[in-house]
Amino acid sequence: MTYLNAPGFPEQDVRRRARDGAAAVFPPLEDYGTSVYGADSDRSARAGDDIDALRLVPPVFMPGRLAKLIDLGREPLYSDVALETGFGGLRSPLPVYVSALGSTRVASTTLAISRQAGRLGVPMIIGENVAPMNGFRSTGDEHRKGLLERVHAYVEELPDGLGGVVVQQSTEDANSEVWNHVYSDPAVNGLLATGRLAFELKTGQGAKPGLGGLTMVGEEAAPGLEEQYAIERLTQDGPVLRCSCPGTFTEEIFRQQIHLMRNNYPRARCWVKLFPGRDVGRAASVAWTAGADAVTVDGAEGGTGWAPTSFLQDVGLPLAECLRRVDAGAGTLLASGRVWNGSRAVKLLALGASAAGLGRAALVAVDEDPDRGLERLVGAVELEMKLIISALGKYATDEIGGEDLWAPSGWSSHEDT
Amino acid sequence: MTTQMDRPLSVPAADLIPPPRLRLSDPRTRATLRIQQTLVAGAREFLRGGGAVEMLHPIIGPVTDPGSRGAKQADIDFYGHKYKLMTSAILYKQASLLAFDRMFLIAPNVRLEPIETSSTRRHLAEFRQIDVEVALATRDDAMDLVEGLVRHAVSAVVNECAEDLAVLERDPGKLLAFVAEPFARIPHTEVVDKLRAGGYPQAAGTEIEWEAEELISRDADAPFFIVGYPKGSRGFYDKESPQEPGTLLNFDLIAPESCGELCSGSERESEYAKIITRMRETGENPSKYAWYLDVVRNGIPGSAGFGIGLERLTRWVAGLDSVWQATAFPKLAGVVSP
Repeated sequence: MTYLNAPGFPEQDVRRRARDGAAAVFPPLEDYGTSVYGADSDRSARAGDDIDALRLVPPVFMPGRLAKLIDLGREPLYSDVALETGFGGLRSPLPVYVSALGSTRVASTTLAISRQAGRLGVPMIIGENVAPMNGFRSTGDEHRKGLLERVHAYVEELPDGLGGVVVQQSTEDANSEVWNHVYSDPAVNGLLATGRLAFELKTGQGAKPGLGGLTMVGEEAAPGLEEQYAIERLTQDGPVLRCSCPGTFTEEIFRQQIHLMRNNYPRARCWVKLFPGRDVGRAASVAWTAGADAVTVDGAEGGTGWAPTSFLQDVGLPLAECLRRVDAGAGTLLASGRVWNGSRAVKLLALGASAAGLGRAALVAVDEDPDRGLERLVGAVELEMKLIISALGKYATDEIGGEDLWAPSGWSSHEDT
Repeated sequence: MTTQMDRPLSVPAADLIPPPRLRLSDPRTRATLRIQQTLVAGAREFLRGGGAVEMLHPIIGPVTDPGSRGAKQADIDFYGHKYKLMTSAILYKQASLLAFDRMFLIAPNVRLEPIETSSTRRHLAEFRQIDVEVALATRDDAMDLVEGLVRHAVSAVVNECAEDLAVLERDPGKLLAFVAEPFARIPHTEVVDKLRAGGYPQAAGTEIEWEAEELISRDADAPFFIVGYPKGSRGFYDKESPQEPGTLLNFDLIAPESCGELCSGSERESEYAKIITRMRETGENPSKYAWYLDVVRNGIPGSAGFGIGLERLTRWVAGLDSVWQATAFPKLAGVVSP
């Protein structure tokens, strides 16, 4: 079952959470009372990640906790933290969404993520190339689930009033008219009627900023693709690499594309995905001014997709720097990039995000257990978030801020850069 | 944010359209189709009299008008290549100016509109347009032409279709009064302001919403033009005003009596670099427009043109409740029909 590998990602931790759920938030229970624990010995392995380097720092004095005490008439507990929240026009039981998972075989193996995300009621993004690669409806191929199958699987499980489906489109698949197909399909009437359909304009992705989609296809599929894509033959007889164009954006092109989305799909929420480019702050500002309901930012450490190793190592801003450059006060910012636990999610909220995206973590969790893996992982994230937020003397997600963070090397927040 | 999000989503009733055996034997249908025939003949007479050449245009091609407002295109498997049914003839109209300075066509279009359009009473998934393009014309020239054409066609109906109008209980005097005066030309911004002043929360940077369009149409005494829609609401071929960046040199003709838009038109972009840039602004990948860009790159004249929805015009002139009544075999979004 588990053919999935996620190098450089705390895969074993995620797998444990997918098996054990909230129990995995703590050290192994059988060690309780017999072992002592200090700091994460594995932390050095993740050195270099600015967000991992940050610590969440509760204060001794907590006027926020006093306010909650007065409100409740008793001492507040971690279970009093309200995680349910709205972002980008959608409601979610916690400030978490499932990031776009593309058409690659890894993401296509199962509809389990869709079902579990639906059951949880967390918003789910459907990757931009799912329809062009896997088709719009059923493909009959067990490994390539069409876009609508994913929507169906999600909606079947979805509770009232929560969640939503976010469908991406990039420059390349404008040819496939993904949004037009979705918007006029009877299958999404329920989502449209309840304001739970969103479209996300994709400008690029974390793992390969500035490049378009890269997909390995069989040699037999290569003829006919050359008109539309660049084709790289990496080996003599093996599969060939199909490279999509990334699309050209200027401020005006970007602004007008957002205007057109709002004009053309008045019943759909408008999201925009930015890759970790150096002008990410400016781009987010343009998007919000043009009317985007949410801007998602993928750090260079994010991405489920396939990318040249040089891009993975050397290209794009890390998520922490992206968040530093975006003035999140100006609109709804969503962030993803190596999110797998509650502390990283809370750190992202403290850095200005309204919600955190689970990408690889969701894939690994479902790979570990296709029936309940994602639900258990999210259960663990939920418990951790409540514990941490209450420890900070806060009881709602929008109360978290830069004051809750400490950086060993001197953190500079957005305001003082 | 647009307000459409907050309204209930309506889906069509399966039995909305009567079956052909009832529809086609209805005297009202016959009267409507004869009026439509007269409108087409009147339009032809008017346009040919002005020196325009009628052309017959493709039904399928590698690319078509990307359109807007969420309508999707119908794909055709053309010997292994993905072709499209025409959603409008705009690309071919511009190219045709290399042959004739003034041209027109009565062109069929297929637009698989969002399902909620089935309740607007003015959308069809399959419809015809009286499509006109004139080289070196301005927006004002195009609006003059629309106005003249509508007046001529309506007069032809009044002169030739008295019995049919009587069957439909349509007052010919009222029709003539509608087209007696010049049609007003009102900026889009003014229409938005007026809607808002009247309590309708119309968004500024977008199309006039369907419900709002019906509202302003209901209040109108005569057909009128809305001019200068914002960029981001229309296709890449509508020319941006050099004087007012962000505003297009385009127009819609709005009919009175709640009928809404009859016609869209514009001065066109004809410069290669501008067209490519505008394609990107409308989210398009220019590569699929290869044949059109090859034409443009080698030079096409500036132009202005428009398309009048034939069924919409018929609906208004015949005084019908809904546009589907203006065609023998209507196709409404989401409704399975012959």
